[in-house]
Amino acid sequence: MFTARSFRHAALLAAGLTAAMGAFAAGKVVSTQYGDVTVNSDAKRVVTLYEGALDISYALDVKPIGAITTRGSDGVSNYLGDRAKGIKIVGTTREINLEAVAAQRPDLILASPRLNPEQYKILSKIAPTIVPKSKPHQFPSWTDDTRLFGKALNKSQEAEAIIAKIHDREADIKKVVEAKIPQDKRNVSLIRWMPQGAMVMSTKIFSTEVLANTGFKVNDGGVVKKGSPHSSALSLENLSSIDSEWVFLATMNLEGQKSLDAAKKSPAFERLSVVKKDHVIPVDGQVWTSGSGPLAAMVILDNIQKTLDTKVSYPE
Amino acid sequence: MIPWFNRIPAQRSLLSALVPAVLLLALSCFLSLLYGAGAVGPLEAFKALFNQGSADAYFVVSELRLPRTLVGLFVGISLGVAGALMQAVARNPLAEPGLLGVSAGSTFAVALALVLGASAATLTVSVAQIGALVGCFCVITAARMQGQNRDPIRLVLAGAALSSLLVALTSLLLLYDERAADEIRFWVTGSVAGRGLEQLYAVIPSMIIAALATLYVSRPLASLALGEKVAIGLGHNPGRIRLIVIVCVALLVGAAVAVAGPVAFIGLVVPFAARALVGPDIRRTLWLCLPIGPIVVINADTLSRLVAQPAEMPLGVLTAIVGAPVLLAIVRARRLPTL
Amino acid sequence: MMNTKTHSLENMPPQPQLEGHTTLPLGGESQLLLEHRALRRNAILLAMLALSSIAFLGMGSMVLSPLQVIQALLGQGSELNQFIIQHLRLERLLAAIFTGAAFSLAGCLMQTLARNRLATPGIIGIDNAAMAFAVSSIVSTGISLAPSAMALAGAATATALAFGLAGSSGTRGYRFIVAGIGIGAIAGALTQLMLSQVDIDTANAAYPWTVGSLSARSSSMVYALGIGLLISLIACLIWARRFALLPFSDQVITGLGEQIKKIRVAALSLSVLLTGLAVAVAGPVGLVALVGPELARAMSGYRGIPLIGSAIAGAFIMVVADLVGRTLLSPIELPVGIVTSIVGAPYLIWILVRRSPRN
Repeated sequence: MFTARSFRHAALLAAGLTAAMGAFAAGKVVSTQYGDVTVNSDAKRVVTLYEGALDISYALDVKPIGAITTRGSDGVSNYLGDRAKGIKIVGTTREINLEAVAAQRPDLILASPRLNPEQYKILSKIAPTIVPKSKPHQFPSWTDDTRLFGKALNKSQEAEAIIAKIHDREADIKKVVEAKIPQDKRNVSLIRWMPQGAMVMSTKIFSTEVLANTGFKVNDGGVVKKGSPHSSALSLENLSSIDSEWVFLATMNLEGQKSLDAAKKSPAFERLSVVKKDHVIPVDGQVWTSGSGPLAAMVILDNIQKTLDTKVSYPE
Repeated sequence: MIPWFNRIPAQRSLLSALVPAVLLLALSCFLSLLYGAGAVGPLEAFKALFNQGSADAYFVVSELRLPRTLVGLFVGISLGVAGALMQAVARNPLAEPGLLGVSAGSTFAVALALVLGASAATLTVSVAQIGALVGCFCVITAARMQGQNRDPIRLVLAGAALSSLLVALTSLLLLYDERAADEIRFWVTGSVAGRGLEQLYAVIPSMIIAALATLYVSRPLASLALGEKVAIGLGHNPGRIRLIVIVCVALLVGAAVAVAGPVAFIGLVVPFAARALVGPDIRRTLWLCLPIGPIVVINADTLSRLVAQPAEMPLGVLTAIVGAPVLLAIVRARRLPTL
Repeated sequence: MMNTKTHSLENMPPQPQLEGHTTLPLGGESQLLLEHRALRRNAILLAMLALSSIAFLGMGSMVLSPLQVIQALLGQGSELNQFIIQHLRLERLLAAIFTGAAFSLAGCLMQTLARNRLATPGIIGIDNAAMAFAVSSIVSTGISLAPSAMALAGAATATALAFGLAGSSGTRGYRFIVAGIGIGAIAGALTQLMLSQVDIDTANAAYPWTVGSLSARSSSMVYALGIGLLISLIACLIWARRFALLPFSDQVITGLGEQIKKIRVAALSLSVLLTGLAVAVAGPVGLVALVGPELARAMSGYRGIPLIGSAIAGAFIMVVADLVGRTLLSPIELPVGIVTSIVGAPYLIWILVRRSPRN
């Protein structure tokens, strides 16, 4: 993505812009969905309008002053923990309060690829607004996002370091997986449970890619349409297509076990061999099906680690 | 001797319409057992019916297709009969639980339940029946304002207004609770998939009460169709008749919504078809609604499994697409009939 | 600011000088009939609108004094204040006034046309169709038109379908209304279907289009609505006398030598044009169409058709509703559609209960 040429190009442009504006001592040019944006290189007042951006900011040791709420609560995501104490809420994923954003007097805004042009038009007047490029039929890549926001926060090196750290941990877990789980027992599906059937998550989303990097083979049963993050609720008659060796069951509330029990009420679900083997692992949907970023990746890796520690018992 | 199809509906014998309808229903149930979204094909399913197929096929037919067929049967009967009763008491061919805001009301209450902590995956019938009660409130309000003023459009407009109101209130409830919003968007499309027999058992008592009450009230209701004075002259109390009917409708619609979510337009289509076959006498249409309701629901459900394989299309979407033309057909009739 | 008083039939043709009225010649046979009572009402409504607009500009996540507001409007004061007033609140105020006026005027026309106070363009499916189209633009990558343009297309499609399906029936547009309800039901079902197929983030992105919101609207659509509103208001003034005939039976109107069909089509077209444009700006905020005309009527007793009054009342309601939505739960904004529903709900229930046979 960042070829030497585009770097040179960006640098030239930055030089031109800096010369033109004069005031900026050192501006960085970041390439976004809405074109190149020049960012003051020591942004102090960051507002994030995207859960992934908040995760990345904390991972890079930047404390944003404002953020939007996560779904289902009036604060930011639980997994971010104490880091987020005292952060100002400036809206929800559905309705950003533009005035509240302006009132924070931010000098950098990190937004979601879904930000619409009308919102961008206003936000970009408040402060440089970084919107990741969205590619058709592809989901935001947390590594691309980390590099982009890292650059905007003038923390490119730290961004590379944290990406490397996570890849290292993935590799470590992969070794354990390869040692403990036989080759033909590594297939896994990520689903959400609905009374009328299961929704299978795509192999291309954030969490399933992390899963794949740890040596598991993610199986979407071939039912997820290209570019869609998950299938429609799969007919109960076709549940066998997700009868993998392992199933991660993402729940939108924190009572994962309750959701698992509800799913078990369905004879079609209970009949799956993965259920009989007790290889269904309830996990937090906020992290697994909609989260993104290095900290979320760490949570996912923790979940996988715990599964390996507690559930895996294959004869050597 | 006039051929059967040339006679005006009211002159036909009830049996001449009822028998083919029941046969058609049997065929529909049979097809519903044979076809599904999964790998078990008609032939295999047929064998499984006679205990000869593979274990898989037997499981699919007995544990998945049979319960939803039964649920479809039940939902069809409930909504069809409720529609016929409602139209009779409102004397309005457009009175339909969905159009009158009952579905929106129950959606609202289900949203309330979800916001208060229930989960769609664990949503029990009893929780959903609370939703139906809100729907009942809407029916009663709508029916009350009917009264002496028998303007069919006015009732429907009130229903539509109520619907839009309840939909807005639902949005309000779901504003902060995105988990509930996430779950309810799957519930509101209406479906009989994955519904089990235990959910059916839970609503059987209300079904029995509604059936008995309907039997009791059908004759007075027919006399009410001749006018309030006629009914009073025959010794009936119009107010009491209406009340019983409304309670029946509430029980039936409530039970159906509890099991399958809001399934639109069944209450409109079924009595419309029944009237076209045997005429407007409520005692005759009610009988005919018994097979026609399930025929519509079960066939729509079978279709919903086949059009979006390997997933399924929500039943409510399919019935809305089937039902809307019927709505227009009623409206396009030369004059808007008041029953 | 002008209105007609036309409830007593003998006053209809030609144009006698009425007590409490002023006539304003427009050249030729056209003449504006000004009812003093309506003028008074509209003046009061305008004053209310002005007051609420000042409050709208001053209040929000940052509270500014009226002086600061005026300074910011004149390009003085702190940069942040200027930004908030000039770029955020002023545009939003315009959007609120335009959409409120358009919804309410459209509602008044439709109510008059159908002789039913519950008949509004939203209830007959235009809102839902616009919503379905806008949502489809968000959930599908294949549609490159912006949601607001799709909403406009949806409103147009619904209207065309309703016209087509209702055929040439003249019975007070009843068939048109019921056809609209059917179309609305289908559009609603399709919206639910689309929302159930996508991930929660996409569903969230579509959310403002399912409830109606004034935050960060398409400014080109706001201007288009402004132009449409201006044209409609002028048309309402010029045709006020004809529109005043709408509540009467066909025989009466034909007897007066007016062509009833033309009047109805004109009223209906204006109504759907306004609703379509307003929905394209703000999404479905249907209940304003119900409450706006009602407020206008309440202000002047129940006589005549308060077209202009409805427009001002609708704008007032929208401005107040959005002000409440922005301030009530600050820093979180309530979409304006939700607030209007809360305002509309008690009124709607009251209307339903009041119409019970016992009264």
